[in-house]
Amino acid sequence: MFKRNFVIATLILLASLATILLNAPLVSSQGLTITAAAVEGALPLEAPDSELWRLATAVEVPLSAQMIARPILPETNAKAITVRALHNGEEIAFLLEWADATRNDATVRVEDFRDAVALQFPLIDGQPFYCMGQQGGDVNIWHWKADWQAALIARRTLQDVYPNIHVDMYPFVDETENLYLAAYADVDFLPAEAVGNLLALPVHTTPVEDMVAGGFGSLTSQPPEGQNVQGYGEWRDGLWRVILSRSLRSTEAEDVSFAPEKLYSVAFAAWDGANRERNGAKSTSQWVSLQLGAAPAPAAAPAAGAAAPSPARTAAVTPSGIGPLFWGFIGLLVVLWALIALTLLYFRDEGKS
Amino acid sequence: MPDVYNWQIGRTMTYPYPEAHPRQQFAAVFNINRCIGCQTCTGACKATWTFSRGQEYMWWNNVETKPYGSYPQHWDVKALKLLDEAHQAAGVKPNWDRTQANEKAPYGVYNGLTLTEAAGPNEVVLGYLPADAEWRSPNFYEDTSTAYRGGPFGLSPDGATLPEHQAWFFYLMRICNHCTYPACLAACPRKAIYKREEDGIVLIDQERCRGYRKCVEACPYKKAMYRGTTQVSEKCVGCYPRVEGADPLSDGVPMEARCMAVCPGKIRLNGLVEIAEDGSWVEAPQHPLYYLVRIAQVALPLYPQFGTEPNIYYIPPRWAPRPYLRQMFGPGVDQAIERYIAPSRELLAVLQLFRTTQKMIFRFEIEEGALVREVEVNGKMWQMYDDTVIGFDAQGREVVRLSVVEPLHERPLERLNSI
Repeated sequence: MFKRNFVIATLILLASLATILLNAPLVSSQGLTITAAAVEGALPLEAPDSELWRLATAVEVPLSAQMIARPILPETNAKAITVRALHNGEEIAFLLEWADATRNDATVRVEDFRDAVALQFPLIDGQPFYCMGQQGGDVNIWHWKADWQAALIARRTLQDVYPNIHVDMYPFVDETENLYLAAYADVDFLPAEAVGNLLALPVHTTPVEDMVAGGFGSLTSQPPEGQNVQGYGEWRDGLWRVILSRSLRSTEAEDVSFAPEKLYSVAFAAWDGANRERNGAKSTSQWVSLQLGAAPAPAAAPAAGAAAPSPARTAAVTPSGIGPLFWGFIGLLVVLWALIALTLLYFRDEGKS
Repeated sequence: MPDVYNWQIGRTMTYPYPEAHPRQQFAAVFNINRCIGCQTCTGACKATWTFSRGQEYMWWNNVETKPYGSYPQHWDVKALKLLDEAHQAAGVKPNWDRTQANEKAPYGVYNGLTLTEAAGPNEVVLGYLPADAEWRSPNFYEDTSTAYRGGPFGLSPDGATLPEHQAWFFYLMRICNHCTYPACLAACPRKAIYKREEDGIVLIDQERCRGYRKCVEACPYKKAMYRGTTQVSEKCVGCYPRVEGADPLSDGVPMEARCMAVCPGKIRLNGLVEIAEDGSWVEAPQHPLYYLVRIAQVALPLYPQFGTEPNIYYIPPRWAPRPYLRQMFGPGVDQAIERYIAPSRELLAVLQLFRTTQKMIFRFEIEEGALVREVEVNGKMWQMYDDTVIGFDAQGREVVRLSVVEPLHERPLERLNSI
């Protein structure tokens, strides 16, 4: 009997270990560490379904409403973001997933607010205030916008939102084109665009705005030439899945720069447009640790975006030198073997008793 | 939050920033009694500032028919309702104490909550965000009066007798009030809204604005507007290039805003008043706006109880119900109407200055003329004198000269139909 209990306890312990190794999300409000797993080859920058993401440990980061600076919205909708991170020695990518019942990717009407998500990194050693940084403690913010994402495929015009709109003419617009899309000959009539407000640009090359902040109300877009964060997002069945990526290193003073094997801090925020969440009315996390894996050694690896037959197979072909992940999968194999051996042992004992 | 002094409510009130006042303040007097609702002001503003893509619903200047018309729809009713609910929640019965009226508190003391005081812990200003449908149809209910209760055959012999018409409406012409304590500025989480030191004009920095629409939510007058095509908000700019004297026509002196200068009904008088360091108006009895607002007190702020200290002043319509007007313009309404109905010699002269020159008038002088008429008004004898009023621009040059009695030219017989 003692032997049987021992075996069951061991099985439970092993099962727990296996669950962790099989990337089940961790739920904890503090002391979270996101590991950016090092992989070989191109990162799945526009493929949230890519098997490569299974190499990254998913971490569920709890969110709560920003309650410090007015305006305050105590009931925000996003309660947690599931985060995965990968890097390949050249680029880093984050896959963020969070539940959102509605897709809000237009901001044409006065009552329309966008869904959005943001990453925040300190620009100083240590951790400045986790909400927008502080004076003397700047932060770099990558802000992905659902409407910018939608506009990459087709920019929403007034005609899309108001199908029955009719305007005879807009002065200073090329009348040979579609009036609701045509460029302005003189942007002075679009003052926000004329003064270089990134939000007002008719065309965006990325759905992510790269910004810097040093306290509430200080958020500032980096200049157009400093916009170097890429993004991709898709909404399906009440879930946003958004990838933000950038080259590991940046020489810009307002950008965070990463190196393999180093430890960083990162914070998250999400906005639900349907709940009129914008600016400080948001769900936000505390600082979370971000550990970059060792740089990958050149070896065969699954091509980016290519769906491998199974995660186990991906693990099997993952070359050495991948660091924690590699050892994780070795551990997983050991655990599986141990499970089989223990099960056999258990049934052999049963047969004897 | 710091306390700031708001002379329109006769007391200090809470505001997120400490007092800092411009040297001069863009201000105007609108005479509701004279407005014919032609919307020329509205069209002039549209043709100058808001004719571009994304500004279709934007009317920085609008004229609505009270009591039912409003742009955006029911903005005033909604703002008053929010304030009323806040008063009920706080157990406050708002009222005006006229007995405390003095030089620094000409209308007395308002004992209710302002919009910054009623905001609650999570917001800076009490407000709401009108949806796009509310910004459509800016002229809904135009010329719609209150119900007319006729006698036999639907006729009423005294339906339109003064002091208050039984069935009534009036036009309310509105632009941004370029408030002393703007709610839009208070609510902007980015400090993207600022009040200019030189003329008190309130502007949205188009570079800093991120389209959060907190200003649209906070402005009780709903004069900050969102432009979906540029994802930022815009508002009335007080025609600042004209106010700066940068317009080629202006001869280097401040000019009235477009909406003011085009008015065919001659209802508007626009100018800059000098502001002291403590925010009070520097005494200038010969300044037409100072005279109308501070001395004659015929022109009153719109909804002073909101606490933003708006800088557009209205001469209330003399035929509308007084309780409605008191709610809208504060407790000074009865005195203002009384003085407007039988204007003093000086007031009658100053009223001639409205819309007679594009240049802002900084000083007036009156040359006395002959007594031309003597009639009974409200049981009292009233004399009319044919005085001459002279207006001077910012550099002290005479820009306009008018007599109370308009000169009459009779075409001689031989030139009849000679056009």
